[in-house]
Amino acid sequence: MKLAYLLIWGSTVVFGASAVWALVWAIRNGEMRDLSAGALSIFDSDEPAGRPTDAFPERGS
Amino acid sequence: MTLAATWDEPSSVPVDEQATRIQIDRSCRPTVLGYYASAVFWLLFGSVAAIMASVKLHHPEFLSQWDWLTFGRVRPVHLNTMVYGWSSMAGIGTLLWLQARLCKVPLPYRLLLPTTVGVWNVAVAWGVIELLAGNSTGVEWLEFPLSVLVMFGYVLFVLFGVSLKMFRERRVQHTYVSQWYIFGSTVWFPILYGAAVLLPATGLVGGAAWATTNWWYAHNVLGLYITPMGLATAYYLIPKVTGEPIHSYHLSLLGFWTNALFYNWAGTHHLVGGPLPAWIITVGIVGSMMMFIPVTTVAINHHMTMVGHFHLLRTSPTLRFTVFGAMCYTAVSYQGSLEALRSVSQVAHFTHYTVAHAHLGMYAFYTMIMFGAIYYVVPRLTRNEWSSPRLIRVHFWSCAVGIALYFVALSWSGWYQGLMMNDPGVAFMRVVEYTKPYLVARSLSGVLMTMGHVAFAILLFRIMRSRSVHLSGPTLFTTADAEALGEAAHA
Repeated sequence: MKLAYLLIWGSTVVFGASAVWALVWAIRNGEMRDLSAGALSIFDSDEPAGRPTDAFPERGS
Repeated sequence: MTLAATWDEPSSVPVDEQATRIQIDRSCRPTVLGYYASAVFWLLFGSVAAIMASVKLHHPEFLSQWDWLTFGRVRPVHLNTMVYGWSSMAGIGTLLWLQARLCKVPLPYRLLLPTTVGVWNVAVAWGVIELLAGNSTGVEWLEFPLSVLVMFGYVLFVLFGVSLKMFRERRVQHTYVSQWYIFGSTVWFPILYGAAVLLPATGLVGGAAWATTNWWYAHNVLGLYITPMGLATAYYLIPKVTGEPIHSYHLSLLGFWTNALFYNWAGTHHLVGGPLPAWIITVGIVGSMMMFIPVTTVAINHHMTMVGHFHLLRTSPTLRFTVFGAMCYTAVSYQGSLEALRSVSQVAHFTHYTVAHAHLGMYAFYTMIMFGAIYYVVPRLTRNEWSSPRLIRVHFWSCAVGIALYFVALSWSGWYQGLMMNDPGVAFMRVVEYTKPYLVARSLSGVLMTMGHVAFAILLFRIMRSRSVHLSGPTLFTTADAEALGEAAHA
């Protein structure tokens, strides 16, 4: 029983550690450097920020 | 410039973004459509099982002449087809498409991935047969036999590999917030799933430790698998459809990392009052309260990104479903944290109140966001438009009114059910009689939601079958825009 709890909490700690590792990797990799550009990364030149891309069929956008 | 040339020289030639998107959508087509079509099949199947189980609660004799349709079998069939059939398959389809789009690379393993659709379907179907035959393991969320769970595990580890491969070969420097959530589902979850399935097989776990493993797993299915798929989708679709970048990108990242650190600790709150050392439950309660931080970041972001764009809810089906889901995410998460408190749990635990909460999460939040995603993704994969705005409205309103009725009826009756059950002076049968009208309301709301699902299935069947409208550019709902984009793509 104790071993089971050790396994559960142990893996929880390992998960936490892997999250911290990923966070350190992200910071070192410059992921946090320019966040305003990051927020814009999903927009393309033909689907730019400021333009909706979806509407009901019979209504214009 | 040809498409091939664009891919061969990414650094020297400006990438035609529209052509890239089209190529990515094309690469996703068989796999993602396979996952979506299967998901909707299991949604219908699970809805029928849901109505059967619900009716049995107020009319126990309903279909009780066949042992394979008794409550103890139909109810887990409902839960497992909804979790592993509908939710998983809709989520996997969406995250594969999202990861390909965000990495700006076509979906790899074009032969292997469509076969995983088959493997997953066979696994769910086999599991359903086993449950109906009475061979449930009796462990909630893991009722399917080990052979089925091994098949799921195989696909989850394929997704693990595919997701990392796309990330390694990505053509975008920045890792968008949705991708972090996708990693939650594709990297953390398979490991956790493996641990939860294998741990009992070691023989080390029994009794209360078994229950702890069970709820640690079941809660993490929500936190590290379902929620990340829902939030990854919302964080992509809300800004994409409105054209408005996320209100605060800082907060979105803070939300992800706090979610990654805290959610995993919260599972044992399901065992409040159970025969476990108090500290184990207290850890779960503390973890649950810490969840206020990530939930608040998501709530602020989703709401503030929508400010000034609420009028789009009238025109965009994707946005209407997704925003409905995002709002319910905030509601269900705050409610969930509060339910972890011992004083609240004392009343709400083992009542219909918890069932209402579960549906607010799995349906009002997650399922509605997945509907929104499918409304956005499928036209771009099939190059067809949805056939009927009226059916989309029927779908939305049946589901929205259905889940609202469900939530109010069960939350109200569940809370009073809890208070009455805590009072030794109230006879148990009186409590049962009290809840009956609310259980009838629950069945009615199930029928309403199922009507919405049928409308959705008709729409999906038509759009996948129709070959009438082929567009060369990304499909938009308004024909004028779509034609203009089509011409731009040829120019």
